[in-house]
Amino acid sequence: MAKKMNRRSFLKYSGAVGATTAISGFPAILRSQPKEILVGAVHPVTGPAADIGVSCRRASLLAVEEVNSRGGIKSLGGAKLKLLLGDNAFKEEQGRMEAERVMKEGAVVLTGPFSSGVAMTIATLCEQRQIPFVMDVAAAANITQQGFKYTFRCFPTSSNFAGNEILYLETLMKEKSISKLKAVVSNTGDLFGRDQGATFIKFFKDKKFPVDVLAHIEYPLGIQDLSAEVSKIKALKPEILIPITRPGDAKLMITELYKQRVELMALIGSGPGLYEPEFVRDMKALSEYTMDNVPWYNPQGKMYKEVNDRFSKLYPGKYIDTNSGYSYLAILVIADALERAKSAKPEDIKEAVKKTYFKQDLMVGGAVTFNDKGDNVNADTAMVQVLGGAVKVVMPAKAAEAKYVFPMPKQLWERGM
Amino acid sequence: MKTVYGLLLVGLVALLILPQFLSSYVLGIFILIFFYAYLGQSWNILTGYTGMISLGHSLYVGIGAYVSAYLAMAAGISPWIGMWIGGVCAALVGLAIGYLGFRFGLRGVYFVLLTIAFAEIGRLIFLHLKAFGSFQGFFITPRFAFANLQFKGNLPYYYIGLGYVVFSLIVVRLLERSKIGRYMVALREDEDAAESLGVDVFKYKMIAIFISAFMTSLAGAFYANYLYYLHPGTIMSMAFSIEIVLRPIIGGMGTVLGPVIGSFLITPLSELSRSYFSQAGYEGLHLVIYGFLLVAVVLFFPRGIISYVKKRMMPLIVRSEKSRTE
Amino acid sequence: MNLNLLLQLAVSGFLLGGVYSLIALGLSLIFGVMKVINFAHGEMMVWGMYIAYTLFIWTGIDPFFSFLVSAAILFILGYLLQRTVVNRILDFPEAMQVLPLVGMAMVFENSARIIWGPDYISPQSRFALSSLSLGNVMIDVPRFLAFSLAIVITIVVLFFLKKTDMGKSIRAAADNRIGALLVGKDINKIYAVCFGIGTACVGTAGGLLVPIMPLSPHIGAPFTMISFIIVILGGMGSLAGAMVGGFIIGIAESIGPELITGLFQGVGLDLEFPNTMKQVVSFFILIVILLLRPQGLFGGRRA
Repeated sequence: MAKKMNRRSFLKYSGAVGATTAISGFPAILRSQPKEILVGAVHPVTGPAADIGVSCRRASLLAVEEVNSRGGIKSLGGAKLKLLLGDNAFKEEQGRMEAERVMKEGAVVLTGPFSSGVAMTIATLCEQRQIPFVMDVAAAANITQQGFKYTFRCFPTSSNFAGNEILYLETLMKEKSISKLKAVVSNTGDLFGRDQGATFIKFFKDKKFPVDVLAHIEYPLGIQDLSAEVSKIKALKPEILIPITRPGDAKLMITELYKQRVELMALIGSGPGLYEPEFVRDMKALSEYTMDNVPWYNPQGKMYKEVNDRFSKLYPGKYIDTNSGYSYLAILVIADALERAKSAKPEDIKEAVKKTYFKQDLMVGGAVTFNDKGDNVNADTAMVQVLGGAVKVVMPAKAAEAKYVFPMPKQLWERGM
Repeated sequence: MKTVYGLLLVGLVALLILPQFLSSYVLGIFILIFFYAYLGQSWNILTGYTGMISLGHSLYVGIGAYVSAYLAMAAGISPWIGMWIGGVCAALVGLAIGYLGFRFGLRGVYFVLLTIAFAEIGRLIFLHLKAFGSFQGFFITPRFAFANLQFKGNLPYYYIGLGYVVFSLIVVRLLERSKIGRYMVALREDEDAAESLGVDVFKYKMIAIFISAFMTSLAGAFYANYLYYLHPGTIMSMAFSIEIVLRPIIGGMGTVLGPVIGSFLITPLSELSRSYFSQAGYEGLHLVIYGFLLVAVVLFFPRGIISYVKKRMMPLIVRSEKSRTE
Repeated sequence: MNLNLLLQLAVSGFLLGGVYSLIALGLSLIFGVMKVINFAHGEMMVWGMYIAYTLFIWTGIDPFFSFLVSAAILFILGYLLQRTVVNRILDFPEAMQVLPLVGMAMVFENSARIIWGPDYISPQSRFALSSLSLGNVMIDVPRFLAFSLAIVITIVVLFFLKKTDMGKSIRAAADNRIGALLVGKDINKIYAVCFGIGTACVGTAGGLLVPIMPLSPHIGAPFTMISFIIVILGGMGSLAGAMVGGFIIGIAESIGPELITGLFQGVGLDLEFPNTMKQVVSFFILIVILLLRPQGLFGGRRA
């Protein structure tokens, strides 16, 4: 080795060292820009929301890969993002520990956590430690009403959900010249479900909407038998059912509606359960024509097409959806903030996130930008419908990839199953 | 005995100085250790000493947490005061459960099921109470101040947690030496014999459950102001009840130090196994290992770690004391 | 109150009760003979479900037949579990018995998650969507099949216990452990077989439930609880009690909220008993039984 280091290369080498030293000062060699920027991602990969947690984690990892493959954070000398993975198991206690652990390991910004309860705990922690928290998914409005300065939310709030569902229903009724509809609202007895259900009923009443809510049926989360509930729905003879479900009971609901031969014009849900790949795969023809109002990817978006392509290649049978889409987006927002902050210090990152105006066509809605509460004002939901075995956006018109079908041309039991 | 006191003092001093050298994350682990040690001790008062097993203690933590948090949010009452009100509420509920259980002579598995049933009913009721947030959960607005039991750093929580544990140790030790304590142990050993000797068995069981429920619920205020969110599904769940009983059972029921030792062993174990295996990619693996460990520990230390240690250490202590007197 | 609705609810509840009975049956044996709270009961049922599901995916055999395989595998698992873990904790104080089984519950639940993933699965087997109408009332075929099979299996188990040698030994051991030991029976083997049969029952229930409910690793816990309530209601060790208890609980949970709401409104209270609180009905029944008749409906002597 020493032989190779002849006079010429030695001069070149020392010259380079000298030059660097001259430019940034000797200690600067040690103080140079970070090679890696650590981002903490705390998702519920075990526990009752494990399927969603895993999906979010995968999307976050994919996003980090994309950012890095494009050269990392250029304003920081091409520093790469590295994800520190945490598991909140849907429990606040664990969420806090994991958040604290990744902070100890050097995370300068956090993302996650899907559960609103864990979000509250981590948001408080981030406020205490002054580390920015860019939430990908968490729906409860309360989190951003606490006056936190370090917490931001990409996902739409639950009032946004309800407001949009009503808007879409309005559009539908106008276009189909329907003056009144009789509906039953059903929801799972968990935070999101109950919140949504109650918000709908309230909005319907307040805005004197021409939808007659015959009943509001709630059932416990984790229920394994909906025969009683569906019997009640059948007895009420509604025209549409507005189900707010979770993946488990969504399937139960559809099967039970089939078995009890409940006649409906449509199922127009809001929230999870009615769009997951597993739902469509397992319910087959029964899932057809189900409509759901959810924050959704933008099928016309270039960004979406690329990302979904990569995601479904990596994980066959899965695609970017409500939750994973926002997890992906949150990482891009973080990267964008880092780019503008030109620094890896949490305080600078937080300031940069505040000023975010991130144009994107990954998810339905406009550019990501946060108001002073930390909510993404342009976050939106779309109405999707299962058509031909695939989930397609049918409203709003400008993001639509197909025209919605209403009423259902075939009842559940007329589909040859 | 003197050796044990000496060791405890050394331990306490160590715990007082330790935080200077620890990161926020490790402090967080200690906070959980203290929290569960305290809960275990409080539970121990009922079960360890009287032998009436409760698997529904999460109910009391929940009541304490909700009452103190509600009073703080709705009426601005400091949790330092609110926790005692919560304590009274929880104690009353405990008395009601105790009354039903003891008057009707439930023991063993039957009493366990009674406590489970009440805890589950409590959970379901709280899930539907609007004032307490029902399904949404109860969000606690952070306003960092001593009066609110809310702090920016982990250090204050650490010391307060330690305070809770010391408090519980003192209570249990006093109880053990008092007349009440001795009667409680008597009825654990042989309830019928105690009764035939004239001990008012019912009265002492009620005292036990009163104290146990009261003390357990005091920790609720701590929990509420550490995590800033309450939900019946977490704080009043069966899973939480099991976490509470895990540490004293493994450490040694009916002993003063059992729950503390148990917590010092189990809590870091669970934390570390999770952070180690979580990254490995098999989510849930750490829980499989945790489960096996629980089985193994009970099979190898059926009377708890403390009694195992005593058995081993006793000869050493006896020998050293003997050599001193000689 | 809508009587038709009530009738439909009662029928669904009754059929559901049949399924509950089967789950409780296994526990009744374990609890009755060994006095052990099997906290892993629900999670073992979930394993039974996954086994039947896997067979369905690999071979297309309907779970209504492959439950036999679930039963066999769960028997072996139960037997092994008893010999390795449960046997050693039989003489432990109750509190110490709780932990190992809670630990095993965690093991079953999370290993299921690792093997089969966290998603909810709802395989479409042949009978899954069938239903029959009897006038105004709809009868769910999968539930009816599960219900019928549950009765058949109960009869088989009863027969086994009454007529075979092993069965008689199990009953003897339940009544009087010391006596059975004195007579020279291999008590360990008896207990292991008994536990195995108990878990085989629960594995069968799992298999039969695959067409009825979506499957996920974490659905076990509520079933453990329900089976306990049923066993206490029916009486420890009484198989007939488990059957009857299952029906009572099934129906109570279905029509309970409706009836109670009707009661409230009947006395002028504008309150609704929410459906999301339906489990309160079963827990309430449990408390009443514990206080007033702890030996259960069919239990013999006072416990």
